[in-house]
Amino acid sequence: MIEFSVRTSVGWQAQFAAYVLALTLGFATSALLIAASGASVSEGFGALYEGAFGSREAILQSLVAATPLIFTGLATVIAFRAEIWSIGQEGQMFAGAMSGYWISLYLGGVSALVAIPMILIAAMAGGAALGGFCGWLKTRFQVNEIISTVMLNYVIVYLLSYLLAGGPWTEEGTTSYQQTPVFADNFHLPLIVSDVKLHIGFLLALAAAVICWVILKKTPLGFEIRALGFNPTALRFKGVNVTRTVLIVMCLSGALSALAGVSEIFGVNYRLRGDVLVGLGFTGIIVGMIGGLNPIGAVVAALFFGALANGSLYMSVLSDIPPSLVPAMQGILLLFFLSASVLVRFSVQFRRPTNV
Amino acid sequence: MRLPTIEARSLCKSFGPVRANHNISFSVNAGELLCLFGENGAGKSTLSACLTGLFPPDAGEILFKGEPLRMASAADAIRKGIGLVHQHFVLVPDFTVLENIVIGSEKGFNVQYVEAEKKLRRICDNYGIGIDPNAWVRDLSVGERQWAELLKALYFDADVLILDEPTATLDVENSKKLFRIIDKLKSDGVALILITHFLDEVMQSDRVAVLRQGELVGIRKTAETTPEELTRMMVGRDLEPIIRERTPVGPDRLVLENVTVIGVGQVPDLDNVSLTVRQGEIFGIAGVAGNGQNPLMEVIAGVRTLAKGRISLDGKDIGGLNARVIKDIGLGHIPDDRFVEGLVSEMSIEENLILGDQRGQFASKLFLDFPKMQRNAVQMIREFQISAPSGETKAGDLSGGNAQRVILAREMRLASKVLLANQPTRGLDVGVIEYIHSRLLEKRADGVAVLIASSELEDLLNLCDRIGVLFQGRLMGIVETEKTNLEEIGLLMAGKVKEDAA
Repeated sequence: MIEFSVRTSVGWQAQFAAYVLALTLGFATSALLIAASGASVSEGFGALYEGAFGSREAILQSLVAATPLIFTGLATVIAFRAEIWSIGQEGQMFAGAMSGYWISLYLGGVSALVAIPMILIAAMAGGAALGGFCGWLKTRFQVNEIISTVMLNYVIVYLLSYLLAGGPWTEEGTTSYQQTPVFADNFHLPLIVSDVKLHIGFLLALAAAVICWVILKKTPLGFEIRALGFNPTALRFKGVNVTRTVLIVMCLSGALSALAGVSEIFGVNYRLRGDVLVGLGFTGIIVGMIGGLNPIGAVVAALFFGALANGSLYMSVLSDIPPSLVPAMQGILLLFFLSASVLVRFSVQFRRPTNV
Repeated sequence: MRLPTIEARSLCKSFGPVRANHNISFSVNAGELLCLFGENGAGKSTLSACLTGLFPPDAGEILFKGEPLRMASAADAIRKGIGLVHQHFVLVPDFTVLENIVIGSEKGFNVQYVEAEKKLRRICDNYGIGIDPNAWVRDLSVGERQWAELLKALYFDADVLILDEPTATLDVENSKKLFRIIDKLKSDGVALILITHFLDEVMQSDRVAVLRQGELVGIRKTAETTPEELTRMMVGRDLEPIIRERTPVGPDRLVLENVTVIGVGQVPDLDNVSLTVRQGEIFGIAGVAGNGQNPLMEVIAGVRTLAKGRISLDGKDIGGLNARVIKDIGLGHIPDDRFVEGLVSEMSIEENLILGDQRGQFASKLFLDFPKMQRNAVQMIREFQISAPSGETKAGDLSGGNAQRVILAREMRLASKVLLANQPTRGLDVGVIEYIHSRLLEKRADGVAVLIASSELEDLLNLCDRIGVLFQGRLMGIVETEKTNLEEIGLLMAGKVKEDAA
């Protein structure tokens, strides 16, 4: 007989040990997978490490890759803490990139000091509108947010596809690439480091994490978000406007996701195209969960997944490992991390059934 | 010498560090009613669970008719002749009474419905239980479900029958009927164990075993003890009697005129209710649970929508206002379900104490005022005698009594004009009940209008100046406590209008 009982208190050492164990087992399982694919494990992991942390450029490049994941991870944290199961990070991220691009069409020749803040604000408004729309459907018509956000993800992604392939945003002279022309220099997000494209989006992401942490921990709104997640009935009995709180959460989550899209497009690619964004929203859900739905935890998880993504590029170039193993590794690590978070909360005892 | 039907010898059961039962020994003879009496958390339910095979004791043994008893499961206990009538219903709503009873009782797939129905009808006739075995459980009233639950135990010819708080869901009439059935069972030679915290039920038993903090305090012959002695044994100290001073009541404070609340399917949950609570008055709402108490309290507090009628506080119309606005006018509301409506279990005592005021006096500019929250928690924990390690303890880790003290602390602070208390003492032990009552009387002395709904009639009679009786959402009548008695209120609760009023 297996018995589970809730642990009353957990020291940080135990938590740390559990996550180290999860990481070790996750990589060990990934090694089995690599070996099964016929490639060399040591060569693969060596390349992965080299690509993620092997040089100054590699480390900076990992931070670049982590930036959008921090934003979508935070979007997940805010929504999931309120127990609103939004899966719309992907679509909201696209909406952010598209809104930013749309406003930039009217900003030709405007100085970067004005243009960039306007692009960021427009992006956040776009993401917030999409998130808020799902929140409105939920509060007004009791439409399950999982359904509405997932469905709208498709709508937005294919809307961009249409706009870029034959629609009004199509690059002149080409139809084979779904992309816009390269942006003018005044729309490029300023770089922190000049030789690698580490842009100010990274600093914005860190600032957003701190702000999210403060909101959740220190403000009345955060109090309401947490209480909403735990027990909306008690909140309603004390006269808190639960509808309003749901809308705020969905707008906030949408705006954060939007920043992921706009910073990736205007900080790294300098042209709007869909393929570079695909998956960053969904990975954000994993990042938020592994981060324990804590803003700071999400940053740590995003840095890890950024390094993994960056290192895996290197790995697929330098070794025979198929690139499709990378998402598999992410999934394996997620499973082990989630198991670790359960293990930390419960103690498991194996006992023989006893008779009187 | 005749052997006892069931005997417990030095039973011990712990859950982690909590000793739920420690070294408990007692026996029950055939044809005897033993009462297990004790506060919440004294270990009564654990004990009955051990006796019915729900989980094995850590140490000690159980003898059944002199033989050591080995039970693999609860089903095994039923087959051996030990029946348990649960406090909470374990019936499948979409099955008939008959189907509920024969589930799992037959080996193989060939269920003998005809035989079973005959047997069930015989039992119903024998004990005077008027239930159709073919009725759907979902169509039964709460009281009828309790009978179905009892039939389940009787069907298996139990030699030992354990009744866990069986009267909690029954009205006065049905409780009396239950005791007539118990008498019949005794004469049939069944050994009965009754778990209850109602003293007048305890006094109808043959012997009483009093539990406190997992230990057996003592066993008394009921004929040789008094309610006072039993209460003292249960709480470990003397209780102070409630003294309700005659204070003059002031002008009208909370006035309801023709208040109607619409429920599911356009059926009124509350139907044309008018009542007035004056300053310094405690107004009681009697009635079987589910007859409109919750809609009444919630519509006044602004949680439910007012369909028709008028609600005013000190002459000001508050009907249809937001719950937060009404709260800020000076209304406290102790809701029916403490862990669902009153508290956020996962949050700390500190946070729960300011629930609803996180944007009011406990916020400074953009942020929560943590020092003020901490001071408030320290003060409230002391003032309301909340036993918890600190203000950071999660509300969900508290016992029912301490959780209720947290809600009480929060709502008393708000209730400068009106205090609504919906079943404030349900499921709590006498010590806490006494405390809550004394705090309600304090509010009364301060001129607050107190509206209290309770299914404990004795408490209402002790506490209230006037009592209104709700039946199916309608107010059947309002009586002066001084000029009424249990029978009159009991009749109103069953929907019978006073003859002279008609």
